[in-house]
Amino acid sequence: MSRDLSDFYRSLADRADPRTLPEPEVLRRGADRRARLRAVGTALTAAVLVAGVATGTRLVLADDPAPVAPPGGTPTAPVPTPSAPPSATPSGTPSTSTTGPSAQPGPTSIPDRAFFRLAPANDKGAANFVDAEVLPSLCGARFTTDDEIVQRRSRHVAYKKPESPADYVPDGSYVHTITIYEAGRADDALRELRQAVRACPEQEGTGGGNPATSRLRLLDDSGYGDESVLFEIRTDARDLEGNPVEGEEVRLIRAIRVDDVVTILWEQGWEGTSAERSQVDADSRRAVVALEAWLG
Amino acid sequence: MRDAASFDEFYRSTAHRMLRYGHAVAGDHAEAQDLVQEAYARAWRQWGTLVAHPAPEAWLRLVVARLSTDRWRRLTGWRAAVRRSGAPDPVAPPSEDSVLLVGALRQLPANQRQALALHYLYDMTVEDIAREMNAATGTVKSWLSRGRARLAALLPDISDERLEANDVA
Repeated sequence: MSRDLSDFYRSLADRADPRTLPEPEVLRRGADRRARLRAVGTALTAAVLVAGVATGTRLVLADDPAPVAPPGGTPTAPVPTPSAPPSATPSGTPSTSTTGPSAQPGPTSIPDRAFFRLAPANDKGAANFVDAEVLPSLCGARFTTDDEIVQRRSRHVAYKKPESPADYVPDGSYVHTITIYEAGRADDALRELRQAVRACPEQEGTGGGNPATSRLRLLDDSGYGDESVLFEIRTDARDLEGNPVEGEEVRLIRAIRVDDVVTILWEQGWEGTSAERSQVDADSRRAVVALEAWLG
Repeated sequence: MRDAASFDEFYRSTAHRMLRYGHAVAGDHAEAQDLVQEAYARAWRQWGTLVAHPAPEAWLRLVVARLSTDRWRRLTGWRAAVRRSGAPDPVAPPSEDSVLLVGALRQLPANQRQALALHYLYDMTVEDIAREMNAATGTVKSWLSRGRARLAALLPDISDERLEANDVA
């Protein structure tokens, strides 16, 4: 006897016994318990770390590290009414069709977990979300892709070198930004950034308090996300009072694209320290891993 | 502030369908239970936002589909919690057709399983499936066509004529 696929799907549907799912109260309690356990674990970690943080640091401890990404997009696929039994029979005409955007657009909001965590040996236990400039000034360049931003969040993160004692001031810091662009515009953003750096080989000041002339250049870069842009800013060093001293202050900035999302690590040092490529590379890799884990 | 009553109502009215969908997408009943519970747990944690969503069930299906492709990394914790909460109620043995279909579905790519499940379990059109899966209608037609052809080859007593007659594409 010939049958069609709907017979098989009906059989499979019959197999899905709702008694195997918990009552909603049980499910809610389980979900809340997991959230509390995460929060407690974070608080304990923060309490241990705060004891070692140097006095005078301008950062605060990060709060809840593991919020859940809010629902992305606005799916409008047809949803059977609760009272309607699910059909196992294919139909040639839609009965509940609606129009609208997909249930599966790119992300529309950025959860905390999209931001990378420093390696334990680098972690000062200090980071906070900030409303900061995400890039240094590049001869006043403006980016048309700023109009294509869906959401942007930034964080200030201090790090230490592995060999530095925990109670020393940080060895450096980042402004770490994640930006969601409208579909297909993130690569335009990186292209604009490359052009802006090329067009700005030299400018006054670095935006970080050093008034000396800074020199900018693109560096070869590959192996991070779908594509990346890395550039450096070199400035004659100054002491904390602004007086010229020997040497250079080096800043590294890397922008990495993964799909329609761009993450930027702007190494800003700490009281005149310079960026080290190996540290920025390692943290860039961690940033990509966090981004890809979030995007799935 | 999350409203437990509205979540419970949503859960009770959609969980059975979602479990069917999870079963068809994951190709395993026990795994579908895990996926669906995890998806609802996520929904509850952000219910304050999701309650205003125009189609929370479609959002939930998306989570289930994603979890099913990323299950090992994401579900370890939840499985442990489920084990601690005790064994589920006994379930009747699966029918032969169910076993055959699940075995066949495991040989299909994830996007074909998902498209077929949306069509056969949610009665969705090609256009609706395309919207939900963020794919072109031609792509969805291809997924459905290839998925059906593959299932027809793997399952007994399915004729090509019946497949054509039921083809909404």
